[in-house]
Amino acid sequence: MNPAWRHPSFGVGALLMALVLGAALLSLVWTPHDPTAMRIMARLRPPSAEHWLGTDQFGRDIASMVLVGARNALLVGLVAVGIGLVFGVALGMLAALYRGRLLDEAVMRSLDFVFAFPAVLTAILILTWFGPGLVNAVVAIGIFNIPVFARQARAATLQVLAQDYIRAARLAGLSRAAVMRRHILPNITGLMIVQGSTQFAFAILAEASLSYLGIGTQPPNPSWGRMLNDAQTYLAAAPHLALVPGFAIAITVLAFNLLGDGLRDLLDPRMKER
Amino acid sequence: MALFLIKRLLGLVLTLLFAALVIFLVLEILPGDPAAMMMGVSATPESVAALRAELGLDRPAAVRFLEWLGGFFTGRLGLSYTYRVPVAGLIAERLAVTVPLSLLALGLAVAFGVTLGTLAAAQAHRRADLIIMGMTQLGLAIPNFWFGILLVLVFAVGLGWFPAGGFPGWAADPMLAFRALLLPAIALALPQAASLARITRSTMLETLSEDYIRTARAKGLSRSQTIRRHALRNALIPVLTILGLQFSFLLAGTIVLENVFALPGLGRLLIQAIGGHDLILIKSLVLFYVATAILVNAVVDLAYGFADPRLRVGRA
Repeated sequence: MNPAWRHPSFGVGALLMALVLGAALLSLVWTPHDPTAMRIMARLRPPSAEHWLGTDQFGRDIASMVLVGARNALLVGLVAVGIGLVFGVALGMLAALYRGRLLDEAVMRSLDFVFAFPAVLTAILILTWFGPGLVNAVVAIGIFNIPVFARQARAATLQVLAQDYIRAARLAGLSRAAVMRRHILPNITGLMIVQGSTQFAFAILAEASLSYLGIGTQPPNPSWGRMLNDAQTYLAAAPHLALVPGFAIAITVLAFNLLGDGLRDLLDPRMKER
Repeated sequence: MALFLIKRLLGLVLTLLFAALVIFLVLEILPGDPAAMMMGVSATPESVAALRAELGLDRPAAVRFLEWLGGFFTGRLGLSYTYRVPVAGLIAERLAVTVPLSLLALGLAVAFGVTLGTLAAAQAHRRADLIIMGMTQLGLAIPNFWFGILLVLVFAVGLGWFPAGGFPGWAADPMLAFRALLLPAIALALPQAASLARITRSTMLETLSEDYIRTARAKGLSRSQTIRRHALRNALIPVLTILGLQFSFLLAGTIVLENVFALPGLGRLLIQAIGGHDLILIKSLVLFYVATAILVNAVVDLAYGFADPRLRVGRA
């Protein structure tokens, strides 16, 4: 057995992750019912053989909505982390390359500034142009992620740049761009994946919050956060509505957090026991 | 030291000004005509023109920007478009909910986070540590607003011990008002306490491996005495900085939790302002939030210097 699977955080994280990914993929080809189909005659039903997790206030099948919600959550995480990763790593490496100079200062101070805007507020500002919707939520979370990745990438790049083999590579005639691509990038990838996992979890939580507030994913697209908002209205009559989407969010976030922790330990044994 | 403080203050003022400029640009310049945007597609040209005059949109943008900034000192931030009352008054009124809520949550988070983190470090790799660390993973994974809904389900809908939402106001009955804030504060504190516990544990473990801890133990202090008298103070310094960073998550959290519990705070006001396209109100509220986050971070940065004598500038 690969030792990686025996690491408790990584093992449990990977297992939960497989569950969420499986649900998301399954929802592409099959759901018990049409997640957007309303059946007014079957509103707020408790779990049954036909509707495993019951129905909501419009008679939509909760199980189907939760499955499609997994797809929505993973997509949000992927895009938000993608935005943060691409811009953050590029800016962080650039800043490291020009360490101590004006460009470094300018990039890092502007990123500090971006970081001062909580993602919810950035989403609200973006919403003025595009109206409420999934796109502005994802972009806002992505923007918030940029400084997080940039700081890590800068610090990691500086560490690698100080190594002798970088000087050797430069002496051998490699251009700065080539050094960055061939030597720096592969060396900081592991760290970025670890950070990516944590930010993935953050993105899913943030999107759920925004959708709960009504400024994220819009109906009829199923979103776990949105489902919790609907559920709150019927808390006394149908408490089961408030349980399933919350569990779904918690399991997904837990999966990415554990996976990130596990990867960090596996990539850098020195970080263990901390 | 004085020069350092002046530099920091100057940087702080510039950051705040820049934040105001960005918000002003995004909300008042880039959309083109804020008046048309606020009134929606069904507005008549006359009513849009009337609102434009009320907002003073015929005057130069620079003048409007400076007036708005000045408003934060004179209290003249304009009339809310949906409420038809002064924005400054609305914000002041809502602070009576948001500030106590944030402080209560912060207090709970620090109390539970530091205690559990210290306990975990003291019991490192034993059962108590594993249980506490497992709990913190759950605390980080559970969305705070869902935790709030669950608390309502159990303690309000089920047991009836607490109100499910709403706020009676401090004037009528302070005890009732406090009870109305307790569940949302607990929900808000959950992820913060979890991450504080994890950070406290790791800095505490680091501190416990220092030489002076071994000296303290060698001179006969018990393990818990050593932790209380020597380790805790040193371990908490890094925790303090993290607290500053976490404050912006706490602020964002109040926006969500105030909406879960229907509390008349700034966050609920903000979401209602968005629903009503009230750009005048949104503009000042967003700046208020961002400025608070920036100021708290600056204060924590300075406090950090005072808490750790080694970091006092100019005395190294």
